Amino acid sequence: MSLAGFEVEVEQVGQQGLETEEMTLNMGPQHPSTHGVLRFVVKADGEVMRQAIPDVGYLHRSIEKIAEKVGWHGFMPYTDRVDYVAAMFCNQGWGMVSERLGDIAVPKRGEYCRVIAAELNRIASHLLSVGTMVLDIGAITPFFHAFREREKINDLIEQLCGARLTYNYMRIGGVAWDLPPDFIEKVTAFLDRFEPMLAEYHDLISVNKLYVERCAGVAVISPEEAVNYNLVGPNLRASGVRYDVRRDEPYSVYPELEFDVPVGAAEHGVLGDSYARYAIRIREMKESARILRQCFRQMPDGPVITKVPRKFKPPAGDAYIRVESARGDMGWYAVSDGTEYPYRCKVRTGSFAAMAIIDKVSQGLMLADLVTVIASLDIVAPEVDR
Amino acid sequence: MQAFLDQLIADGYFAGVPPQLVYAIAIVAAAAVVIFGFVLNVAGVTTFIERRVWARIQSRIGPNRVGPQGILQWLADGIKLLMKEELVPAAADATLFKLAPYVVVMGFVAAFVAMPFSSVLIAADLNLGILYITAVTSLVVVGILMAGWASNNKWSLIGGIRSAAQIVSYEIPAALSIFTIVLITGTLSMQSIIKAQGWAPWDWFLFYSPFTFVSFWILFTALLAEGNRTPFDLPEAESELVAGFVTEYSGARYLFFFLVEWGNLYVISAILVTLFLGGWQVPHVTDNPVLLNLLQFVTFFVKSYFGVILMMWIRATLPRIRVDQLMSTCWKYLVPMAFVNFVGTAVWVAIWPNGNRPVWIAMTVLGFALLFYFFYRVEFHRRRSGAELLFSPFS
Amino acid sequence: MANPVSTYLRNIIDTATTVFEGMAVTCSHFIRKPSTVQYPDRVPLRVQDTLPFRYRGILEVDLEICTGCLACERACPIDCIVIGATKDKQTKQMILTRFDIDIAKCMYCGLCSEPCPTGSIHHTPEFEGADFSLESMIRRYVKEPVAAYKPKKVETDPVVAPILERGMRYLEEFAAPEGGAPAPGADEAESAA
Repeated sequence: MSLAGFEVEVEQVGQQGLETEEMTLNMGPQHPSTHGVLRFVVKADGEVMRQAIPDVGYLHRSIEKIAEKVGWHGFMPYTDRVDYVAAMFCNQGWGMVSERLGDIAVPKRGEYCRVIAAELNRIASHLLSVGTMVLDIGAITPFFHAFREREKINDLIEQLCGARLTYNYMRIGGVAWDLPPDFIEKVTAFLDRFEPMLAEYHDLISVNKLYVERCAGVAVISPEEAVNYNLVGPNLRASGVRYDVRRDEPYSVYPELEFDVPVGAAEHGVLGDSYARYAIRIREMKESARILRQCFRQMPDGPVITKVPRKFKPPAGDAYIRVESARGDMGWYAVSDGTEYPYRCKVRTGSFAAMAIIDKVSQGLMLADLVTVIASLDIVAPEVDR
Repeated sequence: MQAFLDQLIADGYFAGVPPQLVYAIAIVAAAAVVIFGFVLNVAGVTTFIERRVWARIQSRIGPNRVGPQGILQWLADGIKLLMKEELVPAAADATLFKLAPYVVVMGFVAAFVAMPFSSVLIAADLNLGILYITAVTSLVVVGILMAGWASNNKWSLIGGIRSAAQIVSYEIPAALSIFTIVLITGTLSMQSIIKAQGWAPWDWFLFYSPFTFVSFWILFTALLAEGNRTPFDLPEAESELVAGFVTEYSGARYLFFFLVEWGNLYVISAILVTLFLGGWQVPHVTDNPVLLNLLQFVTFFVKSYFGVILMMWIRATLPRIRVDQLMSTCWKYLVPMAFVNFVGTAVWVAIWPNGNRPVWIAMTVLGFALLFYFFYRVEFHRRRSGAELLFSPFS
Repeated sequence: MANPVSTYLRNIIDTATTVFEGMAVTCSHFIRKPSTVQYPDRVPLRVQDTLPFRYRGILEVDLEICTGCLACERACPIDCIVIGATKDKQTKQMILTRFDIDIAKCMYCGLCSEPCPTGSIHHTPEFEGADFSLESMIRRYVKEPVAAYKPKKVETDPVVAPILERGMRYLEEFAAPEGGAPAPGADEAESAA
């Protein structure tokens, strides 16, 4: 029998004369806990998995091709849809690659606005990630608490740019709007209430013995494997590799900001297991809060955008930039042929690489662990398929 | 009622049937009507209360539109389910598929026969009461396995097998914990166990000795597993198996599984209340038997319902554990602890046949101290969060 | 290598204490105010009135101040604005025959309201656009052909002036990508109003 183009063999596993068969299960595109439309063909021997083959492409929308039709400015709202959970980073990526091609400098205040929006978005994205991870493992309450905080961030960003999910906040040359009048006070008030909420989250679920037992030691990824499989972001850092684009290839105003890069420390379990990937995201949220407070203190006055002509025609050439998105190192590659429409745009996302390691890491795990693995790698379907 | 039945027999109905049989069948039918009526309504209202309780824990309001405060939500859900098309998958084993819900409901409702609601309100005061209840609630395993297999769906099958393994394994610590109480009272009858306790907390078996205190928590955990509740709800793990063994069910059949799951909460809680929390015992405030029995019924119901809300609260708080961890929890932790309790209680009863009063009182004090410490921690969390308060459950 | 007995006891104690603490957290939630907004009937204010000024809701066009420059149609990345504008040969005026916005296609990105010289096309706080037919998703703003607006140094028409003022105020908020300079004539209109 053939499934979706690849052959599946029914294996007879003989154990001391007892004939058993491997089950082939379809964890299909419609499933409560694959994060978006993802499909896995799972070959399982009872509860233990032998292979989990990912099947991607259910959310492919040809976004990269659309760039060639709508032009440099018009593509900005489409970048939100590349990863709608962490849309500010995608905006920033496209803005940066266009600015690199057109040799445009963003004013200092514009860069600070970008960083503020990005770090707020990072907190929101990580809240979604940890919320859905605990939901998949069975705890239904912390999910709602995380989303309650995420709603507050959405309200703040709504005041900043007018939309709650697909922001289209940044433009080529800077950002579209300056911070609204009392934005800084509101964000500071939010951050003051956010840190006790994280402590409460910690007491509720992060140290809960049942949760730790579900996550600790599951799907251990060694640093070499993580590098070989192209993992990025929190997934990579949880395995012990200290690499963060904001530190190692700094862009925007990150060189002027003081923050730590959390690296996996095996608090419960082993370095590089699912719990480490979860704990890193919690710590990154605290670091983002720290960055935000610094930005508010250090922001200079001035314009927020550099004038860029309506018919933006960057000189022919190509550019590749990296941003540290919530899901890791997101690469944007654009080729210009001198017209106002890009010749080619390519996005490299962390989730796509993480899909590849699922097959490797799920051999020998139980069915319930597959859900833990997918959730801990923070895979979102729009990033995988674009 | 006897006169009514005599009239019917004289009129020529039930020709040829001995009158004793007619009386027996009439009594059984009446009991069935009362039990089903009670059970289905309680199970339905429990679903509504569960949603409201979860909602407050999750910082939201539950269903509050259908009827005042949403009290008719469960009726609306029930009617909607009844109106749905009842699909039987083409490749499913139709006989088993259709039979499974009935087996499950039978296993669940039969437990109410021996449930002591008050000193006279018990359908049958069997002298093996608690053993009967344990045996009959295990019938649901048969139904669940049938449902899992007959659905012709690999995910349902996995859910059914998990559930069978879970329920059968957790019978052992449950039974052992129940036997610690049987050792103390020397009888299996539900009413006798309750009568051996008193109305006050210092007369409850919960605080009888440290062994029974631990035994209460072991029984609580084991019964949670029996009822497929989080943290042991793998068979119907929503995020993994869509809906586990009930995935292929729709309409009235799904309604049966649904009702059994929530009604089982009540049975579990009733068992715990009978064995450890003094059952329907109330102080003798009145000589009027009707009023006294009513008071006893209300006490029993309220205590059981508190247990139900505790289980809903636990489900909202804890994640679920994996199947191999479930097995190791049962066999490596609960069973040895239950054996230790059993032996410990046997020794205790041998030394102090009527219970050690000072230790009993000391355990009660310790128990209340633990409760106060709990509320202290609750206040700590409330203060740290700095959130706005709303005490009313209505909105 | 940890002592197996102490690990065993540690597991039991950890489970009991963390479950206890978790239950205390959720118990403290019982008495907190829920964060639900009971939209649409049990809210103190209409939700549309609580939205921030920059909220990008359903688009609206003030035809009185539309200059027919087609800047919004060109800027829209998803081609949801269709404008029919012809230059009348005799009067040398732009006549608008058609201005359709398909709110089902629109992705509410705001790129159309930025280049508008007068703030004619703007986002409203309306978000309730659901309807039963696909036809109603196309908002047609031109009932019969009208002349386009000619921007003047000082706007004196009492009907048009407040609309223009609102448009300019809207534009100030929505900085144009050219660096925030509003269209010529705005400063005088502002000081006159």
